[in-house]
Amino acid sequence: MSLLLLGLALRAEAPAVAVSAAPERVAVTLYRDPNRPAQQRPDLGWLNGVALISEVRRVRLPAGLADLRFEGVAGGIIPQSAIVTGLPGGAVERNRDALLLSAGSLIERQLGQRVMLRRTSRATGEVREEQAVIRSGAAQALVVETAGGFEALRCTGLNDTLVHDSVPEGLSARPTLSVRTRSAQAVEATVTLSYLATNFDWQANYVAELDPSEQRVRLTAWLTLANGDPTSFTGAATQAIAGRLNYDRPGVPAPQSPAVSFRCWPTGRTSDIPLDMPVPVSAVSEDIVVTGSRMTAQAPPPPPPAPMRKGMDAAQEDLGDLKLYRIPEPVTVAARSLKQVRFLERSAVPVRFVYRAGLTDRGRVAAQRVLLMDNRAARGLGVPLPAGQMILLGARGGQKLLLGEGVTGDKAVGEEVEIPLGEAPGLRIDTQPRSTGRREVVITNDSTEARLVEVDLGDGERGNARRDGRAIWRVTVPANAMRRKRF
Amino acid sequence: MKLVLGLLLATAAPASLAQGVPPPGSSAQGDVAVTIYNNGNALVQDRRELALPIGRSRQEFPDVSAQIRAETVTLSGNGLGIVEQNFDYDLLSPAALMQKAVGETITIVRINPATGAETRERARVLAANGGVVLQIGERIEVLRDDGLPVRVIFDKVPDGLRPRPTLSVTLSASTGGRQPVTLTYLTPGLGWSADYVALFDEAKGTMDVQGWITLNNQSGTAYRNARVLLVAGAVNGQPDTGQRRYAMPPPPLAPGKPLRSAGTESAPRERLGDFYLYPLAERTTIAQAQQKQVSFLEVEGTPATRTYEFTNPWLNTLEEPVSAASVLRFSTSREQGLGDALPAGTVRFYQRDLRGNPQFVGERQIGHTPMGSELGLAIGDAFDVKVQPIVVSRTKLAGDRLGDWWRSTMRYELSNARPQPVTVLLTQSGLYGESKVASQSQPGRRRNADEYVWEVTVPANGRAEVNAAFDTRY
Repeated sequence: MSLLLLGLALRAEAPAVAVSAAPERVAVTLYRDPNRPAQQRPDLGWLNGVALISEVRRVRLPAGLADLRFEGVAGGIIPQSAIVTGLPGGAVERNRDALLLSAGSLIERQLGQRVMLRRTSRATGEVREEQAVIRSGAAQALVVETAGGFEALRCTGLNDTLVHDSVPEGLSARPTLSVRTRSAQAVEATVTLSYLATNFDWQANYVAELDPSEQRVRLTAWLTLANGDPTSFTGAATQAIAGRLNYDRPGVPAPQSPAVSFRCWPTGRTSDIPLDMPVPVSAVSEDIVVTGSRMTAQAPPPPPPAPMRKGMDAAQEDLGDLKLYRIPEPVTVAARSLKQVRFLERSAVPVRFVYRAGLTDRGRVAAQRVLLMDNRAARGLGVPLPAGQMILLGARGGQKLLLGEGVTGDKAVGEEVEIPLGEAPGLRIDTQPRSTGRREVVITNDSTEARLVEVDLGDGERGNARRDGRAIWRVTVPANAMRRKRF
Repeated sequence: MKLVLGLLLATAAPASLAQGVPPPGSSAQGDVAVTIYNNGNALVQDRRELALPIGRSRQEFPDVSAQIRAETVTLSGNGLGIVEQNFDYDLLSPAALMQKAVGETITIVRINPATGAETRERARVLAANGGVVLQIGERIEVLRDDGLPVRVIFDKVPDGLRPRPTLSVTLSASTGGRQPVTLTYLTPGLGWSADYVALFDEAKGTMDVQGWITLNNQSGTAYRNARVLLVAGAVNGQPDTGQRRYAMPPPPLAPGKPLRSAGTESAPRERLGDFYLYPLAERTTIAQAQQKQVSFLEVEGTPATRTYEFTNPWLNTLEEPVSAASVLRFSTSREQGLGDALPAGTVRFYQRDLRGNPQFVGERQIGHTPMGSELGLAIGDAFDVKVQPIVVSRTKLAGDRLGDWWRSTMRYELSNARPQPVTVLLTQSGLYGESKVASQSQPGRRRNADEYVWEVTVPANGRAEVNAAFDTRY
């Protein structure tokens, strides 16, 4: 427990300041980016999901009015979503200050104040200081008043700078959330701070290992959690929520860290050789620079994941219309990291393969190989399947091979799961127009196995089956054979 | 010798420098009242004590909004007449200082780069165009043409150069001495909206709602110890210049708009004309770049129910089942609702998980909502409740004078993987008024010319089907 208590008695009615430096316990719930299609992996440099972060903090509050400042919160906090409970006196108001301490704000806030002007001689190293008063704002460069008159900083060719006594009140290094509260007596309280924060995302990753019979897969599913925030959550109770929920990008006021622009009077000369003018000093704070250069690396390809401790499976429960996955032990959701936890393992899930193609006007196309699973308990599954990517692995001797990659949307219990896994080059559908206005379709199979093929004929009444309101020609093509039909 | 003199001057300086310097942390503002509108506009009223001489004087007003709309300033006081108002934004900078010094005499201090020795000279500025041309005695020189260090010391700052844009008023007073004057102006950069926290208890069918006013100051100035009044509404069409939402909204998730029926009750709040007023209970300081939140609503146990809605935009087939929207419905009426008008903002819903911890389950924006309204907020997609519309057949019927009629036979397959039965409000849209329902497997109703609606009960862990045929002219 690290607590600081600072009494600032500047004015009689001024509230005291109590600082809560860090949470004691933290819980993190991750939500997917509702607008990211399942095909797209989370981009670690640009995560658009959110997390609900609940922090339990021990705070010591003085009697009377106090501003309780919360430090060590996630950088992507959406301040208007904050919920603070457990304050004995309730909240008078909540504030989030985004005017940061920067070279520019230091000067703007010290306008008309006395500072020290320090000059260092390049020749001798001698340091001279004299008192000066800031007379101009930071945006138009700096004019100071000294004992001799008015001078401009950084126009002389000397090494000059300003030295300040103290940091002006109300400027902090990063945007800070604070709650103003009033308590009857000094008290130690446990408060819970919950808030939404941006720059998180997660998805499911499925690994299906195909049995040599091609009838079953061993299915393992992982929660892939991404934290793009600079804050780590150590020992956090961690959850992930599946399902699509409505969430609008919030308007969070951007931090303001004004810079100083050192512009001088006209400095033209009689020759073209550049002067050794000091380069303009930018005072953009580190905080802002960093956002552009966050993890630029692309997400690594989906698993095969590292082996996990046995028994560490995320448990699923219903939360309203959403599905909640709870990691059973506290884990660390580290800053700028991916984390994977298994949530499903089934040793034998029956699967079928169907090969699909649409009808073209003319020409030959390869069929799409589609993996079908029935999400029912009787068929080895029967659990909610959150959207994500699947890889299908086969075996060649003792060596694993990648057979296909595909994606699935959110699938509820009882639904059929269809995952297109790529083309089967040896199974081709040839369409040729015939003089009667009809088309002839020829399916060729170069495999030593029979294949079930579905050709989509579009709207209408032809074909021998229907799928989702469309006419289908469904046919089993025997090994190394062809099938022909006119439509 | 010169060095010694300089040091003596430096130590003697503070007394003379301190004049006109306000103490740290203070402000020239007086008794400030701020009225903030939703569209990022605010009216600031600032009552200051000024020491005025009898007759005409020019008074500066520092610490007004940095974005002040100078044309809206009015100043009033007892026996005061306004001669003129000025808003000066000729800012003090090294360049401006040098430009205004043309024709004047300045001091230059040359520093020997090898020894650091200083040489003082007086110089007249002849021009400051592209470079500074100086006359020193009988010589003409360009300032720092040799690249060597030279300090330039100006004797004074010319009148009219200010560190910040400054409002000044020339007024004539009939009585002298300290007296109150009231400054009123409009400024952009101050706006507000509401944020609601709703904890939904599905088993009880209730929710607890907390409402927060979120106000935002991007006006460039702090307002100290101000009385704050928020107005739910915007009094003109000026675009929002304060807080901005991102320009591109996400694709609509849900069919229904939040406001299902507009209420006719008056909320127990202060009103001014058409607007509700939300005064803050205590005086507060609104700092620059600050977002401030104050609670204004707390209601426990208001009834709320979850419903499911699905809209098929036209008579088409969907390739795979699509989730129905999960909609939370509640009322703002006095009798069975929140009993208050809701200013525009974001409602965030939370629900407790099995361990009792509240989890976020979705949010929705609402507009200004009168008391007595019915709201239906689509907060997300239902994982377990899905609908798949399928065009079973489309056949040509007999034509008439205006074209052919076609019959589209639709089948809607609904599935529910929840352990409770659910009711889905199934809407077929895109009927354009002329389409007719030829047959249907269960009774529905035409909500408007464009839409036909069924209430479909889907059993627990089960399926349901609606079959209907629409005759449409193409």
